[in-house]
Amino acid sequence: MSSRLKKFLLLLLAVVLLGGVSFVQKSLNRDRDKLGLTRVQHLENAPPVLAFTTLALGGFRGLISNALWMRASDLQDEDKFFEMAQLADWITKLEPHFVQVWLVQAWNMAYNISIKFKDFPDRWRWVKHGIELLRDDGLRYNPNETLIYRELAWFFQHKIGENLDDANMYYKAEWAREMHEIFGRKKPNLEELIHPQTADQTNRARLLVEQYKMDPTFMKAVDERYGPLEWRLPEAHAIYWAAQGLKRAEEHPTKMVKDDLITLRRIIYQSMQLSFHRGRLVSLPFTKAFEFGPNLDIIPKVSAAYEQAAQDEESNRDHILRAHRNFLRTAIYFLYEYNRIADAAHWYKYLCTKYPDKTLIDGKGNSLPANLTLFQYVMAQIGVDINETSRDRVQAALEGMFRNAYESLIMEEEDHFAGYKAMARQIWDTYQSKIPKEGLGRVGLRPLDDIDREMLNRFLDPEGGVPFEARAMLRTRLGMPAETIAPPPTTNAPPVKISSS
Amino acid sequence: MQRLLAITWLTWKAAFRFRLFLVVAVLLLGAVVGLPLLIKDDGTARGFTQILVTYTLSAITALLGLSTLWLACGTLARDIEECQIQMVAVKPIGRWQIWLGKWLGIMSLNAALLALSGASVYGLLQWRATRLPANEQKILRKEVLVSRGSVLPKNVDKKIDAETDLKLKERLQKNPGIKADIAEARRQIREGIKAEYQIAPSGWPHEWKIDLGLAKHSLHGQPLYLRVKFNAAEKSASGTYQGIWGIGVPRKTPLWRSEEMSLAPDTFHEFEIPPIFDDTGVLTITFVNLNNTALLFPLEDGLEVLYPEGGFALNFVRGLGIIFCWMALLAALGLASASFLSFPVAAFLSLGVLTLALSSGTLSNAVSEGTLMGYNEETGRTGHSVLDIVAIPVFRAVLQLINLAKDFSPIDSLSTGRCITWTQLALAFSQIVLLLGGTISLFGIVVFTRRELATAQGNQ
Repeated sequence: MSSRLKKFLLLLLAVVLLGGVSFVQKSLNRDRDKLGLTRVQHLENAPPVLAFTTLALGGFRGLISNALWMRASDLQDEDKFFEMAQLADWITKLEPHFVQVWLVQAWNMAYNISIKFKDFPDRWRWVKHGIELLRDDGLRYNPNETLIYRELAWFFQHKIGENLDDANMYYKAEWAREMHEIFGRKKPNLEELIHPQTADQTNRARLLVEQYKMDPTFMKAVDERYGPLEWRLPEAHAIYWAAQGLKRAEEHPTKMVKDDLITLRRIIYQSMQLSFHRGRLVSLPFTKAFEFGPNLDIIPKVSAAYEQAAQDEESNRDHILRAHRNFLRTAIYFLYEYNRIADAAHWYKYLCTKYPDKTLIDGKGNSLPANLTLFQYVMAQIGVDINETSRDRVQAALEGMFRNAYESLIMEEEDHFAGYKAMARQIWDTYQSKIPKEGLGRVGLRPLDDIDREMLNRFLDPEGGVPFEARAMLRTRLGMPAETIAPPPTTNAPPVKISSS
Repeated sequence: MQRLLAITWLTWKAAFRFRLFLVVAVLLLGAVVGLPLLIKDDGTARGFTQILVTYTLSAITALLGLSTLWLACGTLARDIEECQIQMVAVKPIGRWQIWLGKWLGIMSLNAALLALSGASVYGLLQWRATRLPANEQKILRKEVLVSRGSVLPKNVDKKIDAETDLKLKERLQKNPGIKADIAEARRQIREGIKAEYQIAPSGWPHEWKIDLGLAKHSLHGQPLYLRVKFNAAEKSASGTYQGIWGIGVPRKTPLWRSEEMSLAPDTFHEFEIPPIFDDTGVLTITFVNLNNTALLFPLEDGLEVLYPEGGFALNFVRGLGIIFCWMALLAALGLASASFLSFPVAAFLSLGVLTLALSSGTLSNAVSEGTLMGYNEETGRTGHSVLDIVAIPVFRAVLQLINLAKDFSPIDSLSTGRCITWTQLALAFSQIVLLLGGTISLFGIVVFTRRELATAQGNQ
C-alpha cells in the first residue's frame, strides 16, 4: 500500500470516527449526567466562542473570573457602574454552570445597583439587566436549574411587584407597557399568540418567544391552572417562572431539591394572593396612568393554592393556614364591598366551617364565627380598615365605598350615597395621615377625587358600565349632561330592572 | 544634538526593522476598532461612551507600556550582547548621548503611536456621538465629552480645630485636675464638632456656600452640576432617602427648588442645577432632609459643584500627555535595566517593578493598618510583628514613590468629563518625567557609562 493511499485512508477513518462521535455525543452526555460520572457538566446552548473558551481555559477560568469579580467589586465601591453589565457577562460566561454566580450578579444589578440611581428610568434599566441576565443567559446555559427560576420569579414578585422601592410604580408601569405591546394594546388574548392568524399576531408571538423567552402555550396552561391572571402585571410572570421551575424539576427529578420546590410553590401562592389583592389593571384615561383593583375571580384558586401549600409544607403548616384564614377574611370583605353578596356568603360559610374556633376580628375574643353574621363581620371590618396601613386594602375599600355610593344614588338612596362618600373621605384621610411624608410617593394613595372620578367613569362606561338607563339616572342626579352616543335599539326589550341584590 | 538625533534615527530604524512599529500600530488600531464591537455597556449612550473611553485608552496604555518596556530593554541590551554597541561607542559620541538618543527614539516612536491611536479614539467618539439621537447627544456633550472643573465647599478644618481647642479648654477649666486621655478627649470633641458641619437633621435644611471664584465670570447661563454623597445612620425600608435641593438666597437671588428626590446613601449622585449665584460669585445650596433620620454629608466628598471649563479635545490631549509621561518613565526604566543586565533579566526586572507599582494596594493596606499581620475582622484586632518596625516605613517610602506616578488618573477624568488642568499636566511632567524618570535615567546613564561593553558580548 502506497504511503499516499495510507494517509488518505487514515484521514478518511478520522473523519468517519469524528462523525460517529458526534452522533453518540448526546447520549454520552445524557448517560454521564444520569450516572453522575462527572462533576463538570457539558455546556448547553453555548455559542462556539464560549464553548471553546470554557474548554481552553480549563482551571484558569476560575482565576480570571475571580480577578474580574474583584474589579467589579472595586468599581462598584467607586460608583462606576457603566462596566458592570460587561463584567457580569464575562464572569458568568467564565463560570456558566456555577449557579450562585448567576444569582449574585443578577441580584447585584437588580437590587444593589438599581437603587444607586436617582432617576427611575435608570433604575428600571438595571432591574431589567438583572432579569435579562437570568432569563436570557442563565437559563440558556442552565435550563434545568430551579434556583434560577426561583430567583427570576422572585424578581417579578418582590422587586417589581412589591412596593419597597420608591420606583416600584414606575417598574410596574414600564412592564405593563411592554406587555401591552405584546398583547397588541388590548386585553391579553393568549389564543391569538398560540395560533397567530395575522402578520401582527405572528410578530407579537415571535417577540414574546424570542425576547421575553415565554411560551404562550405554557402561559395559557398557567392561566388556566392559577388564573385568570393579568399578564401585564408582574405577579403573573412570577407565577409563570415559578411554574416553569416546577415543570423542569418534574422533568429532571434527579436534580430536584425539596426545599427549592417548596420555595417555588411559595412564590406561586404568594403571587396568587397578590393577584387577588391587586390583580386587575385599571387604566386611568385622565392621567394616562393605571391603578389596580382586586381580582375577585381568582379567589377559589388562591384558596386551593394555600391549602395545597399547607399540605406540602408540613413544617410551615400552621403559618400557611393562618395566612389562608387571613386571605379568606379579606376575600369575604372585598366580595361584600363589590356587592357580590352571594359569593361573600359562600366564602363566609367556608371560613366558618374550616376555622370554627378562630376569631374573625383581630383583638376581639368574642368574634368567633358562631357569634357573628356576615353583615356584622363586614361592618366590624370597615372599622378595622379605617386603621389599616396596607395600601392595597385601603384602595380596595375606597373603590368599594364609591361603588356602593353610586349604586345607592342610582337607587335614589341619597343618604347612603353621602354616607359612603363621607366614609371614603374618612378612610382616605386616616390612611394618608399615618404615612410618613417621605413614604407618600411610595405607598401613598392618589387623590380621593381621582379615585372617585375613576369609579364614576367605570359606571358611566357605555361598554363595561351599568345599563344605559342606570347611566342616564346617574348623570341626571349628578347634574351631568346626557350621553352623546345613543343607546342601541331595544325593541321589545323588557324594561331594565335595577336590583340592590 | 546631531549625535543624539543620529541615535534616535537608529532606534527608529531598528523598530521598523523588527516590525515592532507596524505590529504595535496594528494592535492599537485593532483595539480601538475591535473593543467597541466586543464590549457590553449599560444601555445608555453615556455608559457606552464612558466604557469606550475607559477600555480603549486602557488598552492603548497597556499595549504601549509593554511595547515600550520591551523595546527599551531590547534596543540597548541586544546592542550590547550582539556587540553592535561597540561599533557605535568607538565613534565620537558620549555614552550619555547613546543612552539619551535611544530614550528619545523610543519616546518619539511612542509619540507617533499615541497620536495615531489617540486620534482614532477621538475620531471614533465623535463619529459615534453624531449617530446618537439628539437628546442623547445633548447629554454626551454636556456631561461626558466635556471638560468640567470643580469647586468644593471652603475647607473648615482650621475652624473645627479652633472650636475644638476652645471647647477642650472650657472642659478642662470646668474639671481641673481630671485624669483623662487628653488626646482621645480632643479627638472625640473634634468629631462632635465636625459632625455639626456635616449633618442634615431630620426635617431641617442644611446649607452650603460655594465660592465659584473667577469662574463666576464665565458661568452665566451655563449649566452647573451638583455631585453629592451622604451616609445615613439608619437603614430605610426602600434603601433610599427623600430630599429636596434648593439653590439661591431669598430676596437676594432667584430661587430654584428640585423635585423631591429619592437618593441612595453611600453613593455619588450627579444632577444639573441652574447657575444661580450672587454678585460675589457665591452659590448657596440648601438640602431639606425629609426623612425621619439625620443624614451626613462628609466634609471631604459630600458635595462638589462641577462647571463647564473647556472643550473635550484639549482635555483629551492633556490626558494623552499624562499617558505619554508614563511611557517616558517606562522607557527610562527599561533602558536603565538594560544598562547593566542582559535582555531577559532586564525585561524581567522591568516587568517586576511595573507589577509592584500596579499592585500597590497590598502595600497601602499594610501602611494604613500599620502592620504586615493584617486586621482580623472577627476579633476587631490588628496583629503585630517585629518586622513592622522596618517594613512599614519602607513600604510607606515605596508607596510615596509609586504614588508620584500613580496619583494621576487621566482615563478616569476623561471618561467622567472631568477637567485635566495644565497644572496637573505640568505636575505630572515634573513628578513622573523629571523627578522619577530623571533619577532612573541618571542611574542608567552612570551605569552605562561605567560599563565595560566588550565583556558583555554574547555567545556569537
